[in-house]
Amino acid sequence: MSSITTSEGSDRHGGRPADPSEPVTDPFDALPELAPLRTAAQAGDWAATEAFFGGLDSVGKVSFAAAALADLADLAGTEGYLEKAAETLLGDPLPRTLLAERYIRIGWKIRSGARAEYVSRDQFDQFHAWLRKAEHLLIEVCAEQPAYGPAWIPRLLTARGLELGQSEARRRYDRLSAHHPHQLRAQSQLLQQLSPKWSGSFEAMHDFAQECVSAASDGSPAGILIAEAHIEHWGQLSDVAGTEYLRNVSVRNELRHAAEVSVLHTDSRPDWHRLAGHSTFALAFSLGGHLKDAAPHFAALGNTASESQWRYLGDWKGRYATYRTAALATLRGGDGR
Amino acid sequence: MTTTHEASTGRRTADLSALDGLISHTTVQGIPALHAPHPGDITAGLFFRVGRADETLATSGVTHLVEHLALHRLSLSDVHHNGATANTYTLFHVTGDESEVVAYLNGVCAALRDLPLDRLETEKEILRTEAASRAHGPNHQMALWRYGAQGFGLAGYDELGTRRLTADQVRHWAETRFTRDNAVLWITSDRLPDGLDLTLPTGSRNPTPTATDALPVTPAYIRGGDGHVVFDAVLRRSSAASVFADVLGRALFQDLRQEGGYSYTADADYTPRDADFATLRAYADALPEKQDAVVGGFVDTLARLRAGRIEQAELDSVRGKLLKRYDTPDLSAALLPSYALNLLLGHEILSPEQHKAELRAVTVADLHEVAREAWDGGLLQVPTRGADWAGFTPAPNYSPSAVTGTRHPSLESDDVTLVIGADGVSLLLPGGPVTVRYDACAAMTTRPDGARDLTGLDGFRVAVEPTMFRDVGAERIAALDAAVPAAVVVPLPARAPERIPHPRVPEAPVPQARPADAGDTAPSGLRSLPVWFLLLVALEVVFALGFLFAVVQATDPAHPVWHWLARAVVPAALASYFTFRAYQYAREHG
Repeated sequence: MSSITTSEGSDRHGGRPADPSEPVTDPFDALPELAPLRTAAQAGDWAATEAFFGGLDSVGKVSFAAAALADLADLAGTEGYLEKAAETLLGDPLPRTLLAERYIRIGWKIRSGARAEYVSRDQFDQFHAWLRKAEHLLIEVCAEQPAYGPAWIPRLLTARGLELGQSEARRRYDRLSAHHPHQLRAQSQLLQQLSPKWSGSFEAMHDFAQECVSAASDGSPAGILIAEAHIEHWGQLSDVAGTEYLRNVSVRNELRHAAEVSVLHTDSRPDWHRLAGHSTFALAFSLGGHLKDAAPHFAALGNTASESQWRYLGDWKGRYATYRTAALATLRGGDGR
Repeated sequence: MTTTHEASTGRRTADLSALDGLISHTTVQGIPALHAPHPGDITAGLFFRVGRADETLATSGVTHLVEHLALHRLSLSDVHHNGATANTYTLFHVTGDESEVVAYLNGVCAALRDLPLDRLETEKEILRTEAASRAHGPNHQMALWRYGAQGFGLAGYDELGTRRLTADQVRHWAETRFTRDNAVLWITSDRLPDGLDLTLPTGSRNPTPTATDALPVTPAYIRGGDGHVVFDAVLRRSSAASVFADVLGRALFQDLRQEGGYSYTADADYTPRDADFATLRAYADALPEKQDAVVGGFVDTLARLRAGRIEQAELDSVRGKLLKRYDTPDLSAALLPSYALNLLLGHEILSPEQHKAELRAVTVADLHEVAREAWDGGLLQVPTRGADWAGFTPAPNYSPSAVTGTRHPSLESDDVTLVIGADGVSLLLPGGPVTVRYDACAAMTTRPDGARDLTGLDGFRVAVEPTMFRDVGAERIAALDAAVPAAVVVPLPARAPERIPHPRVPEAPVPQARPADAGDTAPSGLRSLPVWFLLLVALEVVFALGFLFAVVQATDPAHPVWHWLARAVVPAALASYFTFRAYQYAREHG
């Protein structure tokens, strides 16, 4: 099983498929609303960047777009124009938050997604140095504006990367939630923190996912956390045990219920989380051999996908195509299970 | 808001006009005296401008000794009285009727003129016992990291002087420091009582010591024990700074206790250090499983105040509390001790009205400035692995350079070497050197077994244990003794043999650089043996018991098979021999 220590985003190059049968994975292509942000970043145009973020109506969207911007892999120098903006607009939380997100991404890229034992001392030093730079900015922003959610969310990534401890990560999450509850990206980060590989436990991780779903209204994306938790769990088992785990009927039922109350619910709004949500459910059902359950998710994805969970698989694009074909076949009357 | 800060020296002619109509001032046998009426018993205090910060590490405790000796002859069993030795002052205080107060003050001065030095050894013993029973508080490390092993840093050290001070040294200290010109008297009475005889030698007002600095970069952090987070900063004395301390304390309490539930205690206080500066100290405790959150919340609270996000309501509520202190009956008498101390230290004397006006003038912007000053010069003690993530620099663990001289590899660890040179000693550790230069040595303790423990003025410490390093013979120890100034040498009594350290198998911890009390480490027998050897012995015991059991089982009165035991003799002998060889191997190779 591939190692699955991860930040967000990935090391993809582009994301636009060379082969038309491959899915579109770059969020800037998969989610057309994001396109102006890429244009602004490519031009190093702060005014346009600011205008883009100014048009977003929720903390969740700001944070999602901030992560996407930080992850613009084909743009090496994004931090340049963000640094300039942060220096000029002293009291403004946005440029410092976007810059911190970018620093975190640079650091995590140096660290790579490998398990800790395969990361060199020097890689760790650089990784930590970038995260500290980000954390210093974020401490400042949160001190100035404790209710500014987009700055608290990346502090969950710095807390994890700098190993500031479970209780500190939880404190940050609670501080965010006091002002902005139900932030999926924050929940997803805390879920990572609670997983055994960051010295949490399976129990804590699953309980947290359940807790988030119980607290959320129907149609909210929180159900995605259930799928993420099961994939995390699978990733930390051996190949055989992992497959067994996801085949298990009770796990499947939990996944089904989670999908029904979230991305498949009639009240579910077509927001930016649907890409990662459907991709995650599609992966969890596919790996467990529940192709019929995976089918509606593949169908909803069309020719798009989020690789955030899929890249845990070696040659994930090939396997994605295989699972997708098999799953969609069940919609035409075949029995995929 | 403006506060005038005058230099701490050259203020002998303090301006007491602010006290007119409130507090009377006069002199008694050359000692400035402040007094104001108070109903009931009289309370009086005699301050001297001498304290721990005036001592050296080698004479540390001399002020405390004088205080104890001065009180020894007083047998006023029913009268509430005591003495206190602080960093910059010593206070003798008493509460009772007029004759009791007179008797106490006269007795103290009589004793100071002629100390009962026949009691010296006993009082030294008492002080050592007192020190041994006094638990180190969670913040005892702060002073030594900030100031080193001198001046204000001595508060973090044991009173080493109780080991070596002679009667002449103690007498000299009393004669030069406990003088009429270095004292201030205060007394809650409308007039000075009759019969006072406070005759003391003449001398001069000692300026407060200049603060030393052992922190090259701030804000800095150090590691401390589990369950405690401490922050301290040195601030210019001002009403804004004292208000800030309360604002910080309340913010920490609000954040860590009321909101987060991570801490039970969370508070901050403000203590004048000398005429111009005060120490701000903030503290929070933490459950072990919550201490990461306490560090995080503590940093965020400091950062919030530094960012100037201070609510007017926070200021108003603290200001209200401080102003309320002036709504007390007999205000004048209540203020006597702090006026006397300001007079002693040379701090500006303001009337209550002037104080209140200053408090009323404090703005949120003033607090913001204090918060920045506190952060910039701050020292944070965390129980977790560090605070560099929050912008704090680790306080130095190594000296800037090493000395050259004879090299003595550690017998415990391949990458540790002791150097005894002509200018000082260095311990070369994997991370860098720890050096004490003889000309900057605060104290060297000596043991009859040859051990020497040197502490530098900067607080770095090198323990020369002849048993722990190669070729540290009598000749090298003699060279050390000859090089270190005699005034800083503190002989300690012989140690019990088991307190003398011996090399342990590798993985022994690398000696710690700073903390004052690194205990002697006695090796334990079993812990020094490798696991494989212990398993081998365990296995042999299991086999032997199994064999015995089998024999006992097979034996019955009709058919004894005890002769079977004879078959075990040769294997048992062989096993014993090889086990012994394995033991020797384990001892030699760890």
